[in-house]
Amino acid sequence: MGGEATLLDRRAARHLLRRTGFGASERVVDRWLRLGTTRGQAADELVSFTPSGFKPGGRSLSELHNNWVKYLVKARSGLNEKLVLFWHDHFATSFGKVGDELLVGRQNQMLRKACRGSMVDLVKAVNRDPAMMIFLDTVKNSKVEPNENYGREMLELFTIGTTDLDGRRNYSDQKDPAAIARAFSGWGIDRASGAAVFRDSRHDTQAAYPGRGPKVLFAADDASPQGYGGFGPSGASFADLGEGAQEIDRVTEIVFAHRDGDGVSTVARRTAKRLFEFFAYGAYRDASGVDRGGFASPEAGSEERTAIDQVVSASGFATGWNVGALVREILVHDAFYASLADPARKSVKWPVDFVVATLKVLGVKLMGRESRVPGLGDRSVYTHLSNMGQVVLNPPSVFGWEWEGAWVGSQSLLARFGFARDVYTARSTGGMRPEKLVAASLVQPGDVVDAVTDLLGVRDDLSAAERSVLVGYLGTGPVNLLDPVTVDKKLRGLFGLVLQSPAYQLH
Amino acid sequence: MDRRRFLSRTAGLTAGALLGPGLFSHRLVRGALAAQGDRYLVSLVLDGGNDGLNTIVPMDDGAGSLRSDYEVARLAGSGGLRLPVAGTNALLPLSVAGLSGRDPNTGAELGMHPGLGGFVPGAVEASGDPGHGGLHALWTAGKVAVVQGCGFPDYNLSHDEARRVFHTANPRGLASLATTGWLGRTLARPGAGFGATDVPALNLRDSVAGEFRQHATSVAAARRLSDFTMPRDVSAYSSDHAAKLAAIQALYAAQSSRPGPWRELGDAGTATFRCMDVFPAASRLYLSDRSAWSAGYDKMALGTGRDLREVAKAIYARESGDEQVQAFAFRVDNGGYDTHSDQGGADPAGQHWALHAELGASLKHFFDDLADMGGGVDRRVAVVVWSEFSRRVRQNETGTDHGSQGPMFVIGGGVNGGVYGNHPNVAASDLGSDGNTRYRQGSHDFRSTDVRDVYGTLLVQWLGVPASAVLDPAAGILRLDDGPADARWTVADFDLRRASDGAPLFAA
Repeated sequence: MGGEATLLDRRAARHLLRRTGFGASERVVDRWLRLGTTRGQAADELVSFTPSGFKPGGRSLSELHNNWVKYLVKARSGLNEKLVLFWHDHFATSFGKVGDELLVGRQNQMLRKACRGSMVDLVKAVNRDPAMMIFLDTVKNSKVEPNENYGREMLELFTIGTTDLDGRRNYSDQKDPAAIARAFSGWGIDRASGAAVFRDSRHDTQAAYPGRGPKVLFAADDASPQGYGGFGPSGASFADLGEGAQEIDRVTEIVFAHRDGDGVSTVARRTAKRLFEFFAYGAYRDASGVDRGGFASPEAGSEERTAIDQVVSASGFATGWNVGALVREILVHDAFYASLADPARKSVKWPVDFVVATLKVLGVKLMGRESRVPGLGDRSVYTHLSNMGQVVLNPPSVFGWEWEGAWVGSQSLLARFGFARDVYTARSTGGMRPEKLVAASLVQPGDVVDAVTDLLGVRDDLSAAERSVLVGYLGTGPVNLLDPVTVDKKLRGLFGLVLQSPAYQLH
Repeated sequence: MDRRRFLSRTAGLTAGALLGPGLFSHRLVRGALAAQGDRYLVSLVLDGGNDGLNTIVPMDDGAGSLRSDYEVARLAGSGGLRLPVAGTNALLPLSVAGLSGRDPNTGAELGMHPGLGGFVPGAVEASGDPGHGGLHALWTAGKVAVVQGCGFPDYNLSHDEARRVFHTANPRGLASLATTGWLGRTLARPGAGFGATDVPALNLRDSVAGEFRQHATSVAAARRLSDFTMPRDVSAYSSDHAAKLAAIQALYAAQSSRPGPWRELGDAGTATFRCMDVFPAASRLYLSDRSAWSAGYDKMALGTGRDLREVAKAIYARESGDEQVQAFAFRVDNGGYDTHSDQGGADPAGQHWALHAELGASLKHFFDDLADMGGGVDRRVAVVVWSEFSRRVRQNETGTDHGSQGPMFVIGGGVNGGVYGNHPNVAASDLGSDGNTRYRQGSHDFRSTDVRDVYGTLLVQWLGVPASAVLDPAAGILRLDDGPADARWTVADFDLRRASDGAPLFAA
């Protein structure tokens, strides 16, 4: 057991860097160990990044995508980008429907700037983000024909979720999405500037639609006579400060005031749960073969429930809504480090993490207009990630991507094998230089395997059987790393095997 | 093609597979095949929530008021979604020679969305074009069961939750069924005989779909059969390829006793290597023997058609005697049905038309392809078409919001075509407070069809899974609701019957 004062050792430091960035920089690890750095000090350092102003640009989805991926490789703060990825998945918006490079790029920049600040402000910004307004039909939502698409997902995905952790419903499935549609009616996009505008003539008023009842959220319905979220049977009015443009911010504030049955903030708990799932682990099958909900569906009384409530309380998230403070508490918590002792709680790397960390650690560049790895394949990084099931800026739906097991179906594995092949065969300019990565003085196959698996961060995770497979691939006698053919064939081949190995798909 | 000819074509493949570490458990697998009678099942999803009310549409009131109620909810004119009974792009009537197309409850005549006739501008236009006539042509040939009003108690308007119910067949939220799919449990049940690295099912997508999820056996996911290859280094190092392949296979095999994601990865990898031995050869065999049929899919240029071609390839290889192709259950996706806006009515340029035309033309060409393979294989393939929910009865400005019960299709040469189940009541006075049709059970006139009933009929009557295994109270594939049998279940013994004459869903 530990806490924020626990000193980092090399494994923990690498784990922290891998999960909050793309691959672990040995320079940083060495510095932390030399200074004797605690979990708390390291987390403070990581969380205190200056948000970048990067905005992906381009004339097509693939250009936007590749520009972001290239930025991920060089970004100064890995955590800044990991948080953008988290919120991009959370407020998933697909280029496929939005169809506007500029608006999608602007949304990405907005997330980058706001990713660590106040979550209330972030949701308010997403509410009137033009790409989102197109994606979830706010632009089609009018007083005459309300469109519930945004209201439903705002509750289900962006804030409180359909149920609390014990499975009790958080809102009226029938009434509340429709009520939010009323609040959001009239919002649209100004064609000339591409900015959000409010048009009063399209906005629903209680006077014009008396049949729709009062403008309230979380009031009682057939399923819950006491109402939802602790607001009582008549719910909370979002027209209490007057009707019009201000209603959408009132809706947001009310949603953030929603409480679970025990009085703890619903949004705070659910956000902590999701961030834990992102940075630590989700559901898993333990060593005795029992399925555990983990952070994906934390069971009552579980260590994950305790961890969630601890970080919400320690960070003051339920009142200050500061995302950076919440992330900081997660990064010092034992649950974040649990996979170091329990391999069952390893997590499957997102495809974009697999790709970016590989490029970064091996120093491989994406070359040319098509952003290709300069190896034997002719695929752009866009095609590689598409085959792995993760085109950034174009998530499959508003639910974002399916995590964990969904990343390791045969299609996804084949795509990872293909990317790894392009990397280990990258012999042209910008490619992989194995002779620069492994000391030529090594002669024992076991030492070479240890060097390569250490560089790629899997040395501690390999079983003896796996290590001996890798050693066996290099042969029984000494290895001559001064021989160009040995380097070009076997050392490259060894890198390929490790990149394709089960251990490298996990973190 | 006889078995000997197949083996000579794929001799290299067979030899390679015999050298691999995990041989196919032929005896068990063949036992499993015998149990399900060499039948195939394709799960085809219309993802996003298909507008069922504009899929199977009342054309008159019959003894009730279905058409009138439909016309109140679905408007004519600009942005209107009303599908006309006559004139250009009118509904395609279900009542045709030898088939009743009436709703059993109200007697209303039913029609099919005109897009399901398979008209794809620029691709499938003239008779003689592959896919021409679409789903309506299959209907006319008696191969389509329209199962109306499918849903589950307490319908859910969230895509995710509704999908989860269709995947898990678990509307009650029982923990024992929460993380596995109904087809997954079928493949994983003790009597099925599939081991951890057998591949009894193939999903034509990036990841394994929810209805196939389980832990006991492997479901392969790939967009194309030819994707199952291990990429190589330069040809000068080709001798090293075998060494690398052996090593990587050993690394994945080494996970079989490790916990959590390690073993999951290990099994997925080992199954993937097995697929490399099998599926690319199956693809080549099809392309060489059935090039004209393959060209038909290319001419249609439809995503769903191209996915169904991969299914046809696997089926053809198996039918040609390749015992290494174990896959008999498939998943195909047709997405884009979340038509909150710009849905389009009776207009070939509209969104919903394009989706339906893609579905209809693709299925038609697929079944033509199967019929031409011979051996009655088109009679041994059933496609079940489903969507997580239907859409709001009353349209919004140009589209429809989330709804409740909708029609499913079961399609195949072995299907007794016709209308099964009741059309939901779309009268404004009978809708729930959110404007959706209600799930009904018991002796109600507008009784719904429970999705578990459709699944159960597929399992028992089509795949030959014993009803006792389906309903096993401890670890069953499906679970009924508590309460009197009449109130919890549409039909007895998982045996859905045609409304007009009581014929079973599948011909004997």
